[in-house]
Amino acid sequence: MAQSPSNPLALIAEVTHRCPLHCVYCSNPMQLAESKSELSTDEWTSVFEQSGKLGMLHAHFTGGEPLARPDLTELIAAARAAGLYTNLITSGIGLNEQRLKALVDAGLDHIQISFQDSREDAANWIAGAKAHAHKIDLSRAIRSHKIAFTVNLVVHRQNLDHLEEMIAFIEQLHPERVEIAHTQYYGWALANRAALMPTRAQLDNAIAIIAAAETRLAGKMRIDSVVPDYYAKYPKSCMGGWGQRLMLVNPSGRVLPCHAAEVLPGLSFENVRDKTLDWIWQESDSFRRFRGEAWMHEPCRTCDRRTEDFGGCRCQAFLLAGDATVTDPTCSLAPTHHLVELAVREANKTSAFHQPTTSSSFVQLQKANSDLWQYRTNPE
Amino acid sequence: MAAPTDASQPRLAAGCRWGPSTKAGTEEVRTILFPEGAIKLQGTGKLVLEHCDGQRTFGEIIAELQKEFGKTDPEKIRADISLFLEQLQKKRIVDY
Repeated sequence: MAQSPSNPLALIAEVTHRCPLHCVYCSNPMQLAESKSELSTDEWTSVFEQSGKLGMLHAHFTGGEPLARPDLTELIAAARAAGLYTNLITSGIGLNEQRLKALVDAGLDHIQISFQDSREDAANWIAGAKAHAHKIDLSRAIRSHKIAFTVNLVVHRQNLDHLEEMIAFIEQLHPERVEIAHTQYYGWALANRAALMPTRAQLDNAIAIIAAAETRLAGKMRIDSVVPDYYAKYPKSCMGGWGQRLMLVNPSGRVLPCHAAEVLPGLSFENVRDKTLDWIWQESDSFRRFRGEAWMHEPCRTCDRRTEDFGGCRCQAFLLAGDATVTDPTCSLAPTHHLVELAVREANKTSAFHQPTTSSSFVQLQKANSDLWQYRTNPE
Repeated sequence: MAAPTDASQPRLAAGCRWGPSTKAGTEEVRTILFPEGAIKLQGTGKLVLEHCDGQRTFGEIIAELQKEFGKTDPEKIRADISLFLEQLQKKRIVDY
C-alpha cells in the first residue's frame, strides 16, 4: 500500500464559500458548501492548533471570500498563535483600512489580492461585480503596512491580448510579487472553458511578454507564472502529489487533498468534527487513495516522470476522461490525450474575443452573457 | 536592482520572518518563512541572515564575517555573501 508520508507542509483553509464576486473562472466546486454548515471560530482554532503540531508552516486563507467571515481577525490570530505563517487570498471586498489594520495587528503575514483585468469595465464583467476601483484603493492601503503583498492575475482568452498593459497596471500597485495564473479548468471554469481557453498564439505571446517583464522587473517585482497544462507536454504536479504536502479543510470541515477532490466518485472525506487532522493525514482512505505509485496504470506506472508529476491531476482525469485512476489527459503520453487535443483545436478555430458588457445589475449581466458563460453564484 | 553596496542595510523583506527551529545533530537549523515557501538555514547562510537586521550595513556585516572566518580569503567572503543576498533579493526575501 502507500508509503508512510512525511508531515504536511501547508493548510488551505477554505473558510467560507460565500463570495461577493461571481468570477466566471472560479475553481470552487459548483456544489458549494452551505453557509449554515460552516465551522465555528472554535472549530477553526482547533484546526490551526492541530496544523501547527503536525509541522505545517503556512495557513492559506481562501474561500469564497474569507472576509465574509466576521471572525476572520480572530481566525488569523489563532493561526498565527499556532505558529503558522498566515496568507489571506482575497478579492478585498469587505476590507477597509480599519479592518486591514486589525488583521495586520492580529498577525497577518501576507495578503494576495486578485485583479480580473487592468480595465475597469472588463474586470467588472469577469467578476460579475463592481469591484475593480475598490481593489485599487485597497492596494494603496496595503502598502502602508509591513506585510507581503501579492497581486493575483488570472489570465484567459478574454484578457490575454492586453497582458502587457495588465502587468504595467500591476506594477503601479507596487506588490513584491505577482502571480500570473492561467485559468485552471475545474468547477465553474470547466463549465465556461470554451469562453476562457486561450489560443496558441495568445499563449506564445504571453510567454514572451512574461519573460521580458521578468528581466525588466528583476529585484523589484517577482513574477510567478506557469504554462497552462492543456498546452503543456506533461501534466502539472498537482498539489505536489496527492496527500504529500497539503491538506485542505473546506467550509463545512471536510478535509480534502485538493480543491476539487469532492467531485471524485467513490471517495468519502473525513470531517474535522469527527477525526483529528493527524489521523486523517496518516490513516484515512481518502488521503491514502492516490498517495505514492501503487494506484498507477500504464503509461504512468513505468514512466520516468512519475515521481515528478505523479501522473498529473486525479480530478482532471475524472472530469475529462471519467476515470480518476488514468493518466491526466493533459499529458501527451496519456491514452485519452485526444480529449485535450480536441478542446485545444476548438479553442484555436476562431479568435473569438467578446466585448465586455456593462450593466447596472448582476441579473442583467447574467442575462446578457448567458450564451457565453455562467457566473458563479452563491451557496444557500 | 544590483548587488548590495557597503552602505546597504540588508534585512528580511516585508512578510518574511524567522519561523520554527529544529536540530540537525547538535547544530540549530532555522527556518525563514515567506509567501508560498520556506527555506531552512544552517551554518554560514544562517549566520549571514542573522546579521541582516536592517541596522548593520553590508560593509559592517562583511567585516564581522571576515573576522569570523579569518582563514578564508576576505574577497571571496565578500563575493559569496554579496551573491547570496542578491539572489535572495530577487526572490523578494531580502531587501537592502
